[in-house]
Amino acid sequence: MFSLRRWCLLALSLAGVLSVDAKSSTGDSVLVVVDPAQQDSYSIFFNGLKDQGYELTFRSPKVEKPVIIEDNVSNFAHVILLAPEARNLGKDITPQSIVELLSLKTNVVVALPTKQSPLHALAAEFSLILPPPGSPLISYSPKRDTPSTLIPISVEDHSSPVLTKHIRPVWFSGIPQALGNNPLLIPILRAPAESFASEVAVTSGSAEALVDAAEKGGEGLWAGSSLSAVTGFQATNGARITFVGGAEVFSDELAQKEAEQYVQSGNIDFVKEVAAWTFQENLVLRIEKVEHHLVNGTEPKETYTINDNVEFSTYISKWNPAKGEWQPYSGLKDLQLEFTMLDPFVRTALPPVKGAPGKYSTSFRVPDRHGVFKFVINHKRKGWSFLESSTTVPVVPPRHDGYPRFLSAAWPYYAGAISTSVAFFLFSTIWLAGEARDSKKGKAAKSE
Amino acid sequence: MAPTKAPAAPSSQNPVVLLWKAYNQQTPDRLKFIDAFLFFLMLSGIIQFAYCVLVTNYPYNAFLSGFASTVGQFVLAASLRSQVNPQNKDEFKEVSPERAFADFALGSIVLHFFVYNFLG
Repeated sequence: MFSLRRWCLLALSLAGVLSVDAKSSTGDSVLVVVDPAQQDSYSIFFNGLKDQGYELTFRSPKVEKPVIIEDNVSNFAHVILLAPEARNLGKDITPQSIVELLSLKTNVVVALPTKQSPLHALAAEFSLILPPPGSPLISYSPKRDTPSTLIPISVEDHSSPVLTKHIRPVWFSGIPQALGNNPLLIPILRAPAESFASEVAVTSGSAEALVDAAEKGGEGLWAGSSLSAVTGFQATNGARITFVGGAEVFSDELAQKEAEQYVQSGNIDFVKEVAAWTFQENLVLRIEKVEHHLVNGTEPKETYTINDNVEFSTYISKWNPAKGEWQPYSGLKDLQLEFTMLDPFVRTALPPVKGAPGKYSTSFRVPDRHGVFKFVINHKRKGWSFLESSTTVPVVPPRHDGYPRFLSAAWPYYAGAISTSVAFFLFSTIWLAGEARDSKKGKAAKSE
Repeated sequence: MAPTKAPAAPSSQNPVVLLWKAYNQQTPDRLKFIDAFLFFLMLSGIIQFAYCVLVTNYPYNAFLSGFASTVGQFVLAASLRSQVNPQNKDEFKEVSPERAFADFALGSIVLHFFVYNFLG
């Protein structure tokens, strides 16, 4: 009958089928470019996507339909390129057209080939440096009976913001990527520390292979955990593209292989997480609304006066893939507001408001300069959607009757002037009273 | 304005004390009253000036108007004193003391009008 292993795998795949629907925030249509002969070897992955609610359209690399970009509009919300062996993927899939897909906000998952291909140029567009053609990632530890190019990579929790849950060790086979100096790159799975990239012909299962690779010179020794096996990239318009070092990560065979004793590999979970991040399910935020008004007012003023106290609020939502809706999110701990006129005059924190989910608010004093200012929110964190917002507001100096009327610094002068007037009136009264008395005395003296 | 009668006290006394005694004995009451007014105005002016120099002249217009108020009032009161002093009767033949006081009062009203407008 079925062995224990078969029962375990059957139960696990059933569990996959019964999993919760996870929806993308930007659309459900996916184009998969894959060799039809290989399509069945990725069945667990594709069925998983279909169960989540995605509509998959399959296209062979030799065929040029369906076209992805028509009339400057993308026909699909997401694209998976799983045909690394294909020499050319069709006239409409070139590095330039894939970059244009991203600017049309279509997300892409790309499996990189080991031999030379146009996709090498694509990776270079994103500041990824690929090893010389024919140099896959090789690792000799842990000791195992698989070839040295098939490497189990253990995934630490929180090693990458993209992986939101615990992933069991992942079987990987393919090329590593070296990360260039681009802050938009997010490594998802790093190569193990003891791995290196080298031509397979050289390796013969011993340390000499490493020495040979080091002595080869040229591009240097490709080794260590600074290399990335799976790398993500989030463009400034929010579109995401993930480069996977090899297509075998998605295959059924590796998904069902044991990573450690009686522990199934984490490949299914891993590719699901990669797809969830790339297809805008996880870590997707947006700004719903931005409000500004005087501290004890409610309506936004058209222009503010210098030294006004202004309150600024913003509402931020996060996409909930399980429910398929945007929900208010108060988990941003370091949201910042800048009040800018060429340079930020005020840079302050926007803390979440207790009791109002999704609302972040702060109040500050408008600076002592007049001009045209902007409320700027610019929140960029690795893995998360970029939050950008800019609200322009003029700030004017006070009107002629807007200045403070009686200054406390001037009270000695006010006191001086008022005391002079009072003293003058008292003096006049007493003087005239004296005159009246004198004239009465004088009259009395005269009349005597 | 030399005193007609020299005091009988010995001259070993402090000249300031002598001056004060002579002033007290020989000045009519009305002039003393004006002198008190003048002294008060001088004090007020000194206080305002000291505040301006030591602390701040921030509302400069307020300083100018407060100070000008005391100085102007001082000048008007001093001219009233000259015109009312019986010892100056020969100089001010066409100005009676009542006319002098009327001038003083009118000038002061105008002065205060300007002061309060400039005080801000």
